[in-house]
Amino acid sequence: MITSIAWKNVWRNRTRSLTVIAAVTVGVFASVFALAAINSSIVQRIDSAVSEELSHIQVNTKEFRSSSDIHGIIPEPEKVAGILRNTPGVTDVTGRIIVRGIASTPAGSAGVEINGIDTAREKEMFTLYRKLIPGTGSYFGADTRLNSAFIGEKLARELYIIRYILSPESFTALVEKGVPAAVAEKLKPLEGVRFTTEKKLTEAYSGLLSAKEIKKYGLLVRETAWSYREGSRIILSFLDMNGNQTGAAFRICGIYRTNNDFFEAMSVFVPDAELRKLTGMEDGVYHRFIAKLEEDDLTDRVTPVLKEALPGLEVMNWKEIQVDLAMIADYINQIYAIFMVLILAALSFGIVNTMLMAVLERTRELGMLSAVGMNRRRIFMMIMLESVFLSVVGGFAGMAVSGIVIGITGHTGINLVKYSEGLEAFGYSAHLYPTIGADFFIILTVLIVLTGILSAIYPARKALQLNPVEALRGE
Amino acid sequence: MKVVEINDVYKTYHDTEVEVRAVSGVTLGFEKGDFAVIVGPSGSGKTTLLNLIGGLDQPTAGEILVAGHRLSELKPSELIDFRMEHVGFVFQSYNLIPVLTAAENVGFIMSLQKWPKEKRIARTGELLDAVGLSDRHNSRPSQLSGGQQQRVAVARALAPRPEFILADEPTANLDSKSAETLLDIMEKLNREEEMTFIFSTHDVRVMKRARRVITLEDGKVVSDVRTNHTS
Ligand SMILES: Nc1ncnc2c1ncn2[C@@H]1O[C@H](COP(=O)(O)OP(=O)(O)OP(=O)(O)O)[C@@H](O)[C@H]1O
Ligand SMILES: [Mg+2]
Repeated sequence: MITSIAWKNVWRNRTRSLTVIAAVTVGVFASVFALAAINSSIVQRIDSAVSEELSHIQVNTKEFRSSSDIHGIIPEPEKVAGILRNTPGVTDVTGRIIVRGIASTPAGSAGVEINGIDTAREKEMFTLYRKLIPGTGSYFGADTRLNSAFIGEKLARELYIIRYILSPESFTALVEKGVPAAVAEKLKPLEGVRFTTEKKLTEAYSGLLSAKEIKKYGLLVRETAWSYREGSRIILSFLDMNGNQTGAAFRICGIYRTNNDFFEAMSVFVPDAELRKLTGMEDGVYHRFIAKLEEDDLTDRVTPVLKEALPGLEVMNWKEIQVDLAMIADYINQIYAIFMVLILAALSFGIVNTMLMAVLERTRELGMLSAVGMNRRRIFMMIMLESVFLSVVGGFAGMAVSGIVIGITGHTGINLVKYSEGLEAFGYSAHLYPTIGADFFIILTVLIVLTGILSAIYPARKALQLNPVEALRGE
Repeated sequence: MKVVEINDVYKTYHDTEVEVRAVSGVTLGFEKGDFAVIVGPSGSGKTTLLNLIGGLDQPTAGEILVAGHRLSELKPSELIDFRMEHVGFVFQSYNLIPVLTAAENVGFIMSLQKWPKEKRIARTGELLDAVGLSDRHNSRPSQLSGGQQQRVAVARALAPRPEFILADEPTANLDSKSAETLLDIMEKLNREEEMTFIFSTHDVRVMKRARRVITLEDGKVVSDVRTNHTS
């Protein structure tokens, strides 16, 4: 009865109630959508960290991660690999040999981590090969030779393997892609100039084009100028098992592009047989084993099992390796909830105000209700329910709209390329696919109901302070 | 049998700088089956006295007993339940919950008292019949005339079978025809069900129908006359 009266009371002043409800709807939608958009990059970052870079669990000697000593090989490798393979939840295991070294071309050099990998196996375990930039190679395809290297775009730039040139063909291509001839003409002074970075190219054409033209055609110019010489080589040099400087030329068999600049700059992959030959490492020894699990949710359960099974070794899961990501992954809902609390607190002022108006204009009615026997608890309940209805109707509408919009944009994606340069340096994608966990909506439902309850307290107290005699007498 | 006993009751207001004695030394009793009206000039204390009897207000001095309950001994929360169980109220206006239908308004107190649904519906039907509104079950107060609204209020007041019904100027906002109808209904309920009615009024139509007329002046009872209407 009280519930139904409260519900009907909400609709007595339709315009006023709808205004508050609309405010809550818009507020909830806007903030949930904003969170989902932010969450998109975080989820993508975590996904790619696991699927491209780290996999779930890594095993190496206790000192290896800090020393990178080539002698830090895992003792009894078959036994360790066997334990890993036989642990429930583990679907795949691979071994790597890893040496620190320098990658260089005549134009530049950079410190790198050279991973000798079982190329076929890693293609099963990691999705990094999918990040191959088309036209840069085949990721250890059938035609590649032993001394092939798979490197990141960032490193390729540092070594000037990738550069930006507007060749005569580029101009034809630009016009074909819809750049007006007049604009292409303005770019003519850049023909044949080699730019070592995207930034330098951008600076150069910025001086020639208008702001509007840059906005419209800049991306196209950069894409067209991007150039890579097929079959480029780099020299990888490092110390062998005997401490002697060694190295060899490697042919690039592909350049990968991820969202993590640091990883792109550091990680070079070569077939492990080649690296063994150069370093003098025997077959069957490894610096690191990497285990992939059936699903990510098993990580926290399998890690301690392996830690116990491999006491002399360092067993780390991706959360322990990338502590920052793990923190985010574990506390993300709490962080979002705090944000929502702030938004809802702001919205609650609207609800409080509406409820106060509702109480004040119903003074006589409340007096009558109290006179005929509606006790304080029931009056409080009635006011509180009205307030909860306002917040819940608005909140659920907001959640429904966010659900739909997130569902759609989660598929189509939102393109942020224009603003992307800063983002990608931190490993965040420039394409947003808004997403948010279902459990977040549960937290949000609780918060919305709480907002309604808390917003009711002050107006309900006002209602309870009414003296029925005076309320009824009042004009 | 005495339904209400009022013993030397005072009610003084100190709100303003001057002290107002709204009720000043009233001693009265009401019997079961009374059909009594309290009259007097504006400001003579009629509303105040009714509020005291109904447990809406506490006297400054004196004792009020209703159905054996000493009102001064009840805590505020107990007073609310006491009103719900023992007193039926009909006010001059704003009697009904605007968002509920006539039937729902009549059933309101019964549902607060958690009557089973079938019993509640049956009694609601009975009461709306008794006040001549059997065809207006689903009308909202805004769709009813003032007189019809007051009849719904009477039905609502009767629903929990109170000891008596207090009505503060129930006809003040009604035209004479509606006022007559309302009085007919109350008279009938008084006669057939021995329901006790205590009104306040300025309305001579009401005075003429009463079987007991109590006159207040400056908060004092100046006359208490039983007339011999054969209603
Ligand atoms: N809350 C209050 N504070 C101060 N004085 C009050 C209050 N309530 C009533 N009074 C005073 O008490 C006196 C009696 O008022 P009451 O309303 O009982 O008179 P009444 O006979 O019902 O008048 P009316 O016929 O105009 O309804 C009046 O002088 C009134 O001004
Ligand atoms: Mg009065």
